[in-house]
Amino acid sequence: MAAANMKAVKLRIKSIQNTMQITKAMELVASSKLRRAKEKADNSKPFFETLRHTLSDIANGNSDFASPYTKENEDERWCFVVIAGDRGMAGGYNANLFKFLEQEAKGKDFSVFPIGKKCVDYVKRRNIPIVTEQYAVVADVTISDCYSISKILCSLYSDRKFGHIALCYTDFISMMSQRASNVSLLPLSDFKEDKGDSASQAARNLILYEPSSEEVFNAIVPEYLAGLLYGAICESVASELAARRTAMEAATDNAGEMIDKLSLFYNRARQASITQEITEIVAGAEGV
Amino acid sequence: MANFHLEIVSMDGQQFSGEVERVVFRSIAGDVAILSRHTNYCTAVGMGTAKVVTPDGVEKKGACIGGMISMMNNTCRLIPTTWEWGEHIDVERAKSAKLKAEETLKEPELSPEARARAEAKLYRALIRLQTASGRPE
Repeated sequence: MAAANMKAVKLRIKSIQNTMQITKAMELVASSKLRRAKEKADNSKPFFETLRHTLSDIANGNSDFASPYTKENEDERWCFVVIAGDRGMAGGYNANLFKFLEQEAKGKDFSVFPIGKKCVDYVKRRNIPIVTEQYAVVADVTISDCYSISKILCSLYSDRKFGHIALCYTDFISMMSQRASNVSLLPLSDFKEDKGDSASQAARNLILYEPSSEEVFNAIVPEYLAGLLYGAICESVASELAARRTAMEAATDNAGEMIDKLSLFYNRARQASITQEITEIVAGAEGV
Repeated sequence: MANFHLEIVSMDGQQFSGEVERVVFRSIAGDVAILSRHTNYCTAVGMGTAKVVTPDGVEKKGACIGGMISMMNNTCRLIPTTWEWGEHIDVERAKSAKLKAEETLKEPELSPEARARAEAKLYRALIRLQTASGRPE
């Protein structure tokens, strides 16, 4: 009985060792990729922040509604651009984002523009209408893709398919913490920080647009959408890798702990079987 | 002359932050210079060489392409899609990009999108060359 038990424990240790090797390798891959992704996210962060800041300044001061992009919209159809990961094994990274999306979209008539394979799977499972699956792989999205996406979004918006467009992504706060968050993309009036105060703001902040506000917004909006998308994708990729690294680190630690416990158990069983054998021999010798 | 705060932030990160006397750039409607106490202003940036003049009179050039600029309450934010300081421009690379774009444009059966892309590439390369050749002054 003891021998069979020992065999089982040995096999189990072996299989955990294999798993540990995989999680360790994934951790190393994630941390080496993370360094580059973090650099990219750090570089794009000031752009992202400045762009958002400037746009909210403009939205707060804007009193001109010639461009369709700036008008407040009564249409309650929402389009969420959701940036998730391509793969799992990243702890709560994808699940947290989807939970956040559910919260944000509660009670709204909405469609999803998925970026990332996991997101495509999720919206399909939930039967949420999909705008396009063209950009399913987040790892392949380049700056020029961001421009194409922003063009698609702009045309969807100006064709009145949606009244609001928002972006859900994961904010890379630090190596240890990432948070799902959202920014509204269109219309620009969604950027206003305090809606109640807008009248007095407008009086103070009259802005000169050259050549005309309509032309300016029509030129800026696709650019700014692309910029925000690119920034959000950089942040999300860095977040995914950081989440994966943390998750895999924990998995490797757990595997190590399990191996320690099992080894102890195995050694005890081995010792017990030896003791038993000795007892048997001694008892046999006494009988002679 | 009075100075104002200028921030230049492109997708590759913050390029400049500090007091300047003047900033000149090309908007979609032509060249514009911004001085201190300019009225609140916002426009889309075209493609061209931008000049930043610091309070000590030093003029720095950069290839500035796309994006927007806003002047709000005496703080100027220039947010181009791409920005390269004149001294950082890789002239060889710009030259080869120019040649490549010209080759592409010679092809007779070019789809309109590919043509537009090649034209944009050529234009960018030309601006970078022009910006780089402007130094030293």
